[in-house]
Amino acid sequence: MHPKNRKITANSLRFSVFTILRFVRYSILWASFAFTVTAYAQKDSIALDPVTVKGFVPQKFMSGLKIQRIDSASLTQVRYQNIGDVLSAYTPIAFKNYGPGQLSTASFRGTSANHTAVLWNGLNINAPTLGQTDFSTIPVAGFDQLSVQYGSAASVVGSDAVGGSILLESRASATPFHVSDGRQRESFRNHQSRTDVRYAARLSDQWAFSGKTALYNGRMNNDYPKPTRNTYALLPTETFQKGIVQDLFLLSRNDQEISVHAWLTDNKLTLTPDDVQGREMTRTTAYRTMVRYQVRTLTLRTAWVRDIIDYAKGDLANPDHSVTDKFSSRIEKDFTLNIGGDLNPVAVKTGGEWTHYRSRVPGYARSPVSENRTDFFLLTRWQPTARVTTSFNLRQGLVTGFNPPFTPSVGLEYGLIQKTLYNLVAKGSYGRSYRVPTLNERYWKDLGNPDIRPETGWNKEIGLEQTFKAAFGGTLRTSATFYHNRIKDWTYWNPTRNYRVENLQQVLARGIELQLNYQHQTGPWRTGLEAGYAFNKSSQEKAYDNYSQDIIGKQLVYVPEHTANANAFVQFKSTKLTGQLQAASKRYTTFDNSQFLDGYGLLNLLAEHTFAFYKFKLVLQGQVRNITDTFYLNVRNNAMPGRSFALSLTFSYDSQ
Amino acid sequence: MKMKRQLASSLAIAFSTLAIWSCNQSDPAPKGDYISGVFVSNEGNFQDNNGGISYFARESTTADADIFAAANGTALKGGVQDYAASEEQGIILVDNSVTGQDKVQFVHRYTFKDEGTIGAPDIENPREVVIVGRKAYVSCWGTDVDKYSTGYIAVIDLTTKKVTKKINVSDGPENLTYANAKLYVGTTQWGVGNKLAIINTNSDEATSPIATPGIANPVGIDANGKLWVNVGDKMLRINTETNATEATLPIATGGTKTAGNFTLSNDLKSIFFVLSWYDSAFKEHGATYKFSISDTQIAMVTPLIPRPFYGLAVDPSQGLLYAGVSPSYKQAGYAVRYRADGSLVDSVKVGIAPSGFFFQ
Repeated sequence: MHPKNRKITANSLRFSVFTILRFVRYSILWASFAFTVTAYAQKDSIALDPVTVKGFVPQKFMSGLKIQRIDSASLTQVRYQNIGDVLSAYTPIAFKNYGPGQLSTASFRGTSANHTAVLWNGLNINAPTLGQTDFSTIPVAGFDQLSVQYGSAASVVGSDAVGGSILLESRASATPFHVSDGRQRESFRNHQSRTDVRYAARLSDQWAFSGKTALYNGRMNNDYPKPTRNTYALLPTETFQKGIVQDLFLLSRNDQEISVHAWLTDNKLTLTPDDVQGREMTRTTAYRTMVRYQVRTLTLRTAWVRDIIDYAKGDLANPDHSVTDKFSSRIEKDFTLNIGGDLNPVAVKTGGEWTHYRSRVPGYARSPVSENRTDFFLLTRWQPTARVTTSFNLRQGLVTGFNPPFTPSVGLEYGLIQKTLYNLVAKGSYGRSYRVPTLNERYWKDLGNPDIRPETGWNKEIGLEQTFKAAFGGTLRTSATFYHNRIKDWTYWNPTRNYRVENLQQVLARGIELQLNYQHQTGPWRTGLEAGYAFNKSSQEKAYDNYSQDIIGKQLVYVPEHTANANAFVQFKSTKLTGQLQAASKRYTTFDNSQFLDGYGLLNLLAEHTFAFYKFKLVLQGQVRNITDTFYLNVRNNAMPGRSFALSLTFSYDSQ
Repeated sequence: MKMKRQLASSLAIAFSTLAIWSCNQSDPAPKGDYISGVFVSNEGNFQDNNGGISYFARESTTADADIFAAANGTALKGGVQDYAASEEQGIILVDNSVTGQDKVQFVHRYTFKDEGTIGAPDIENPREVVIVGRKAYVSCWGTDVDKYSTGYIAVIDLTTKKVTKKINVSDGPENLTYANAKLYVGTTQWGVGNKLAIINTNSDEATSPIATPGIANPVGIDANGKLWVNVGDKMLRINTETNATEATLPIATGGTKTAGNFTLSNDLKSIFFVLSWYDSAFKEHGATYKFSISDTQIAMVTPLIPRPFYGLAVDPSQGLLYAGVSPSYKQAGYAVRYRADGSLVDSVKVGIAPSGFFFQ
């Protein structure tokens, strides 16, 4: 055994023993608390009528588009991790990652970090200054349900939905009382903890109440046993993350619903923390709040989001402090349109959204800046026959100073074969997308450009989905999708102009995605496989200077041509073993593809066992990450960690 | 814009050539893939830490983009600020975007095999290197890159590969020129320097600096033994015996243009430089000029080459002017070769942001 490996093993053993001892004490404490709560909860709890909460994003108007729902068991399995870990394991989205706990942005279907809309309960939470989301700041603890919508859906979602959208949603609790609490210890002195409490009660004949309170707290010390791997530095960094999520739902029998949502999150990253003069701190804080009221077919929503970014180098006491407030209100109304004869009626949703931004950023030419954006939309869905579903959607955005293009889309799903045991559906969609310039792109001193044009693109896609309900004794689903997305006026912090922002590029992203899902159950055994492969060819089509012949037709930076992911599990009663694979081909780091980061594949292994007694559960989970100790680099040209371990213990109580 | 001082390299080669020549009596011919040719320092893109050294034989029009990676299977992991070589030793200054990751990388001069490094805290933000005998002098900004309060010259013993001394220099030490046991140290154009520091290389002590009417940028020693120093929109000719400024030649910058990339011709009788400026959309404009050390004013009517460059150097063996072109920090640059009269020879694709040349 190599001396280095021996040291890692010894460390992990010591770490495991320590963790288990600590957890035993920890769970005893929690168990005693839980018993007292149980006594109280049991007395009061009344079984609830199932009241369904309507989705925050009108997915039913997205016919023809591919939507992947990440199941709750998969989310539970990585409950202490960040959303990037989930998306890497389950989708072909590629991440541009600066290192563990550091900036991580998405490239969805060959697009850049600005081209993925992240919606929290239907509200776009991309930072308005940057127009993107740092996925290292979004823990799985922050939401209940995760769906991924592939391709442009701008007519439904609005700006930023060019490569795809990530949909995070809160769900009303179905159980009168549920509490879970746990902690994960990881290699490198990293640890995460999370507490969730869910509750529901009937208030009167008419009204029921439910809610969730979640707290999370994580500390990545990244104490690597050695400062380098294969001579590349493992950069010393620290990331502290904490937050609270509060959801409250009031549901009535006469189809009224009031919900209140708040998500406060704080993420502090420090590079080289021990270097007093050279350390760099980036603190990202977000306050996200929302009130939603729905009465029958009318929905009103109002939201306030404050994004704060503090950045400091050396002296961390006086950081550059930027604050952006976003006030957003939305109204939407559903209709059913009878179009006569024997034809099925058309489902229609129409509405508008008004958003006001106010931003104080030290780097802006003036401060504060404010901007108003208004959107009007009309969405339709029609099922002329049992085989056919169509959507036709229109949206017009209006922005202070200029207007994004009129954005239509049309989608079609056709059931080619509809049998008891086999289904084959063809899907297609064609639609326009746009991206409103970010506040930084418009207002940054000197380098911003107030006259920058919004990006606009046309996305076409076509796919087939088939379901075998009795394949190898289980259910097998496969899909293949081809897409073609041309984006004009692609904005670009131009390195030949001192990084001044310009509408310089025309980019064509096209590719194919294959997905497979298989589930099987016999007696106490369950097995499943979810796998995906994507080919993304994304290149610049138009020239802008003498040296651009070196760039035209080349693959965009940080977009791997090939990505693959797989999750396979075997479960026997309460014991589950899961293997995860994620792989990406080389990622170019220069526009002329003269330099690149090598491709890599990572294998993770998760093993868990659930101990159940009465209404209590104790889930013990162990993870081995990067099991093959694969060497790979992040975009800073620093090494990523090798094999590492995580052990978690989660205690839960459910009154039902 | 960071500028490279090629004279330092030229001096280093002069010394090393001498050393090799004297050793050649007994030593066999050097072995390796990189014996005779042009070494290009590529700064890379700062946040990507992807600089490198490109190499090509003089008769070739294609380069090996990153010879350190080719020889060692691992990259330099930072931008390259400078390269010099002496005897069989090469010394590369590597600047990483994160504090604590900068280093001096030693290589075997002819094979480019890794021969060890010196990192933080000895080396922080290295800028330029000059080799004098068995010592290397490396200008470093230190960790403070806002006020440049922590700058120093690191004195490296090339035999032990250790920093033996740090000599403090204020205002961000940058360009180096060596002559007659004196190391002249300029300061960064981003600071507020107003003097040219001088270090006695026998005692490795700072001596009285030369006061200058602005930020000093030493260019080199001309055929008459005079030191040329650029200070903003002026060229100073300094007597190295008395440290007195003998002549001041203004450069017609119009107050908005910046002069840089000064380099002496092979006969040490002319100086090439680039004058450049940015328009409101940050597009770079400019041209490359040449003047004689005997000129009483710098003629700016007709440029030698009607375009600016990212780096400039003269090959001592052929006299060709090598100009670095960096289309952007996100794509490979070019080394473009010109004759002394400004006529174009050819171009060679190299690494990202080529700013310095070393001829061997």
